[in-house]
Amino acid sequence: MRKILPILLVLLFASFAFSQTDWIKTGTGLGQERVRLAVPDFKPVGADQQTTSLKKVFDTTLWNDLSSAGIFDMVSKSFYPLQVPGTPQEVNASAWANEPPKAGMLAFGNLDAAQQDIAVQGWLVDVNNASTPPVLAKQYREKASEESARKIAHEFANEIIMRLGGGVNGITDTKIYFISNRTGHKEVWQMDYDGNGQQDITKQGSIALSPRISPDNSRLAYTSFAKGGVDIAMYSLELNRAVTFPRFGGTNLSPAWSSDGTKLAFSSSRTGDPEIYIVDASGQNMKRVTAFKGPDVSPVWNPKTNSQVAWVSGRTGLPQIYMMDADGTNVQRLTDQGYAVSPSWSPNGQYLAFAWIRHYGPGAPGNQDIYVMDIASKRFVQLTHDAGRNDFPSWSPDNRHIVFQSDRRGRWQIYSMLADGTQQRELTQSGENTQPNWSFK
Amino acid sequence: MAASTDIFTEREGISSPLAVSLVLHGILFATILIYGFVLNRNSGNNWGGDSFGGEAMSATLVTNIPLPRPQVETQNIVANESKGLTESKPKEEEQPDVKAIPIPDKETRKKPKQITSTITKPKPVEPPPPENKVPFGEGGPVSGPYGSFSTTTAKGGFGFTGGNGDFGSRYAWYVRAVRDKVSQNWMKYEIDPRIGGSKRAYITFSIDRNGRPGDVQVEQSSGVPSIDISAVRALQRIDTFGPLPQDYSGSKVMVEFWFDANR
Repeated sequence: MRKILPILLVLLFASFAFSQTDWIKTGTGLGQERVRLAVPDFKPVGADQQTTSLKKVFDTTLWNDLSSAGIFDMVSKSFYPLQVPGTPQEVNASAWANEPPKAGMLAFGNLDAAQQDIAVQGWLVDVNNASTPPVLAKQYREKASEESARKIAHEFANEIIMRLGGGVNGITDTKIYFISNRTGHKEVWQMDYDGNGQQDITKQGSIALSPRISPDNSRLAYTSFAKGGVDIAMYSLELNRAVTFPRFGGTNLSPAWSSDGTKLAFSSSRTGDPEIYIVDASGQNMKRVTAFKGPDVSPVWNPKTNSQVAWVSGRTGLPQIYMMDADGTNVQRLTDQGYAVSPSWSPNGQYLAFAWIRHYGPGAPGNQDIYVMDIASKRFVQLTHDAGRNDFPSWSPDNRHIVFQSDRRGRWQIYSMLADGTQQRELTQSGENTQPNWSFK
Repeated sequence: MAASTDIFTEREGISSPLAVSLVLHGILFATILIYGFVLNRNSGNNWGGDSFGGEAMSATLVTNIPLPRPQVETQNIVANESKGLTESKPKEEEQPDVKAIPIPDKETRKKPKQITSTITKPKPVEPPPPENKVPFGEGGPVSGPYGSFSTTTAKGGFGFTGGNGDFGSRYAWYVRAVRDKVSQNWMKYEIDPRIGGSKRAYITFSIDRNGRPGDVQVEQSSGVPSIDISAVRALQRIDTFGPLPQDYSGSKVMVEFWFDANR
């Protein structure tokens, strides 16, 4: 008995320790509200010219990142108290929590660029619970330049979005790949998610179409006219050159990566009729998955499961969106009328964005607009209205944004918007820019 | 045992039954052919054709589905509180027996009056009531960690029990992120459109250090199956809530989440 007693005691304490789990009790009704976030300009440590100019870049970038995140209600700067905090000791929480700002969260900090480096300290505090530790406290140091100021702002914004947005990483460090003819040829270009830092990738002096970045951001698959035929080409962003990829004969279009990076679906007319084929990332083990009369093009994978493919088929005349299992079974038609093309599957697998002319044909004035369909319920929402033709939607990795092309101002340019159709912003200006593709991360 | 007879000795001619059989079969095939060609010529041509579009899932934008209103409830007559037609007999009172003689009571001894002193003891000074004392019956929601972030919709408050009990107050932002994420993933169209209001559905689940939800259970049903199912599905859609705050020491938190589908 004496031997058993200590063991029993240990077990008893262990059970106490396990029962000491924190409980949260919360709930929701049908409505929803956003976090009210106040982001005052960061406090400069020095007063020299470089600090002032870099701070301006930093403040603007941080504000734009957070306001375009789609999860915050940004408190207008005109409501802010006059005394701007640079450190947590300087925060007067009640002045921020009460009217007029009535903020829930406050992101602030200081910036020092007097020396060679730019140093930023940033905090995020809950002004309604001022006594609690800050949600976020970060320190950054980089070589002083506009680019690094922007990079630090992106990173800090990402941290805030991740914390307050339920663990979904922000998209401020993602890239958008697109086709631009500003050099005279259609080449693949890349830019930051907000349109900054546009630079060309391919320089083949031919025609490139439908760029699709691999999930690990290492390779770019696209359609190339460079070698006479129309083939799938592969460009390595690590080697900065095109790498070999098999040629299949016929017209090969619109490659699409599975989200695990192991497979590539595309459309090929090697047997005469364009059909959907699936190959490994190396181009081997080709498998045909559709066998219907009429063209089958533009496949996209369900990124959540990689077990379904949506694509465009013309088997009933006008192109319509279909979906099937990745082995070609269980075909379902998703659109029932008009002219539907360019599907893009949301990363959480729930939604399909596509371009649709709902009433097509003579006497039916139909605009091409971006629609989003909830696949489970087959309900859809129209996102663009009365704004030229809109095409090639592509989802951002956070499921909150969509990039697309539009000719609403005469020429094809690339726009981004929130997935509910609000906050539409033009990202490109020079030349004609089309077929955007948002990176996986 | 009965005597056996060889029945195979007599051989009958096969030709005449065969002829009858052939004629009858011929008539049968002719009938099928005529029926197929003449009477039913047009049907069957559209198998797999385009005009039906049988494989299509038609998708249409629907705001709500017009459904017949529920029938007007009639009151149950049996359970009605109004008086019935029959009267129940009142209980007869017992009459006291006239012949009975009462037993006299014992004489009660009178107690002498107690002499009480007029000097009163000084009362001890009462300590002031503690600030957090809640008078009996006037408790209401406990002040303190409850509601430490303000919501204007008044649809989502939070609290906690057990453990160190300071998660909700220290990390109100995390609780809020959890609430918003669940709310975003709650597809309201999954709820039966006929439901106007119901009780809250209470769901419990855990969040591990990496922010993954688990152990989803319906703690208290709303009474409407579609609300309970939609609430559980909302949690199944969520991969992560984001890692728990770094300075939080526990390995997981438990969440009790209510869903209020009142329109």
